[in-house]
Amino acid sequence: MDAKRNNAKGSQPREGKATQMEGPDLESVIERAQGHDAEALGEIYRLHVRRVFGLCRYMLDSRESAEDATSEVFLKLQRSIESYDGSIPFPRWLLRVACNQCIDALRHRKRGRQVIVEVEEGVAVIEAASSEPSPLGAVLSTEERAQVRDAIARLPENYRVPLVLRYYGELSYDEIAQQLGLQRNYVAALIFRAKQELRRKLGHGSK
Amino acid sequence: MGCYSEQIVSLFVEGELAVEEARRLRDHLATCRRCRQLLDALRAENRVLSESLQELPEEAASPAGFSRSQWSMAWGDVVFVAAVLALGSIVAVWTNELSIPEALQWLNPFSLSGRTNLIFNLSYYFVDGGTAMLRDYAAVVGELFLLLLLGGSALLLGRRRRLHQPGLRLLIVLLALSLPGFALDRRHSALVTVAANETLDDTLLASGNIVRVEGVVNGDLLAFGGSVEVRGTVKGDLVSFAKRTVVSGTVGGNIYNFSSSLDLDGQLGHSIYALVQSLRMNDRGRVGDGMVVAAGDVSLEGEVNRSVTMFTGNADVSGSIGRELTMTGDRLTLTNTARIGGSLSARVHELKNVHIADGAKIVGTRDIQMRVRQNRFARPRFYFYQAVWLAAAMLVGWLGLVLFPGFFQASTHAVGSGWRSLGLGVGVLAGVPVAIVVTAITLVGIPVSLMLLAMYLAAIYLAKVWVGAFLGQILLKPAGATKSDWLLGLLVGLLILTIVGFIPYLGGLVRLGVVCLGLGAFAWQLYRASRPAITT
Repeated sequence: MDAKRNNAKGSQPREGKATQMEGPDLESVIERAQGHDAEALGEIYRLHVRRVFGLCRYMLDSRESAEDATSEVFLKLQRSIESYDGSIPFPRWLLRVACNQCIDALRHRKRGRQVIVEVEEGVAVIEAASSEPSPLGAVLSTEERAQVRDAIARLPENYRVPLVLRYYGELSYDEIAQQLGLQRNYVAALIFRAKQELRRKLGHGSK
Repeated sequence: MGCYSEQIVSLFVEGELAVEEARRLRDHLATCRRCRQLLDALRAENRVLSESLQELPEEAASPAGFSRSQWSMAWGDVVFVAAVLALGSIVAVWTNELSIPEALQWLNPFSLSGRTNLIFNLSYYFVDGGTAMLRDYAAVVGELFLLLLLGGSALLLGRRRRLHQPGLRLLIVLLALSLPGFALDRRHSALVTVAANETLDDTLLASGNIVRVEGVVNGDLLAFGGSVEVRGTVKGDLVSFAKRTVVSGTVGGNIYNFSSSLDLDGQLGHSIYALVQSLRMNDRGRVGDGMVVAAGDVSLEGEVNRSVTMFTGNADVSGSIGRELTMTGDRLTLTNTARIGGSLSARVHELKNVHIADGAKIVGTRDIQMRVRQNRFARPRFYFYQAVWLAAAMLVGWLGLVLFPGFFQASTHAVGSGWRSLGLGVGVLAGVPVAIVVTAITLVGIPVSLMLLAMYLAAIYLAKVWVGAFLGQILLKPAGATKSDWLLGLLVGLLILTIVGFIPYLGGLVRLGVVCLGLGAFAWQLYRASRPAITT
């Protein structure tokens, strides 16, 4: 009971790293989960639900849809975990599954249309961007990090989604482009603009 | 050579620049201080982004349906609830006298919708803490909460001479369901699913963060969880205690629901009995019988074959109701597509809050009345009820004095210890519910916990009697402590307490204080009585 409780405690937000089971432990849990062991699936859920929920919460606009998407990810995991082959770390793989789920959800809401539509002037604007950049400071206090988070959560969808996929989902530009059905250059432009928008929101840029 | 643009340097930092170009940029960096500074700044920025995103945005920091274990101390929860209640009783009078802008009504805990909101938030807060501590027993604890809350509300509604039948039925059914726990198929894990190709012949008791039925459950489904979804078929009843309940498949029996939201898109054989924050039934939803609902918001787009009774802040009806619609609450809207086979009866605060579109069909009569709340002192009925209450309290006091003279007089005396009684009383008020839940965890303990509950409620009622008698004694200072002196003191004390109880601000506090003092005195006396030979 105590051990269980400790595990549950481990799944608190701050300890993103502490929660990740190391090597053989996680491997055995995954193996058991692949054999449809409900307890192992529950364990995976407990360990990763916050991280997955976080991604969904940043990607989708309401808490309800984020909760729905998170549920979907773990329900589908019962089947999809069989296809996990260990070529990338499991947490990363799971986040990709979650990315897919969120993009599906976004697409579904737009009745099957693309989540982000490329606009002609896209890339051109970027080149003309401010010549005097003032990126966000290097060391941030907890409070400032909270401000950054909230600013990200308030970004428009076309900026927020690629930015979150990049820095939360740790996807490469190519992967993001593939997921969103966009050109790689356009993804780069969106992320770049998202950062500029963040600086503006946080009062750093274009002074 | 000219410097690189910020975007190119940014791509380089991300490791997304083509190999050749990256090499050229690296050469340039060796010679250009300005670009190196830019590079460092962009790197730092990326780190900031990644680090910031390690945590969730503030409002989402605790996903409701998902594991959260910081608050594993039920005591903390209880104190919190008690504090909220105490605060609430103070603010109650004040907010009643304010006129709150329409847009902020949902915040007002004393409007129906605000109140249900509060109930739900509190109870989920409570249950979350409880389940973290007693994870393995989550199902039973949830069940007990369901029982207490639904039973309590049914009793309350029953006392108002509404809902007599369904309320009692509800209680009986829930009691019946709560006892034979061992005859069930139990499933408890983070995710409980009944797959599309699966058929269960038993009643299923499921608890988990997500409970989803895609297949067939031939018995009843008792579900406790963050989200309960019925996409397949439940042939019996659905009893659910969840943050969200969605029925898009078929439920053959009744739905007994205590959820933050209940969505019905599917078919229901019989009736809905629900205490929910919001109930939505869309145009695909069908209810075979009727509906009794207490909810913050109700939206009916589908078809209900029999009558609908609701206590709700806000009701929108655009579907069809086979028989009567009885509504008590703040706001009622009937759209053009609404159809009511019987009569419409509505009790609202203001007539302008009832909107009936011209196209809405109402076969029977329309009876729409204002529910006047403010001037309760102006109604003779109020004084009548107060007199009945006083007489009842006197009767109870007299009975107590005849049956347990020593105990009652000693309890009255114990009130005088002031802080000891008050402190003890606060502890008892907050602690006993926890004890009830803990006792009920084992199935064997359920009868004991029910007895404890009955005693707890009785003691809360008796608290006024003891405090009233004590107050009367102080004021009258009777020479001999005879029974009639005690009773006279009780009458005077109760009268004073009753009147003080209606004073704004102070009244709520006084009532709470009285309950705590009386409970404390009772507990102290029980303790003393249990030490030497039992004298009562």
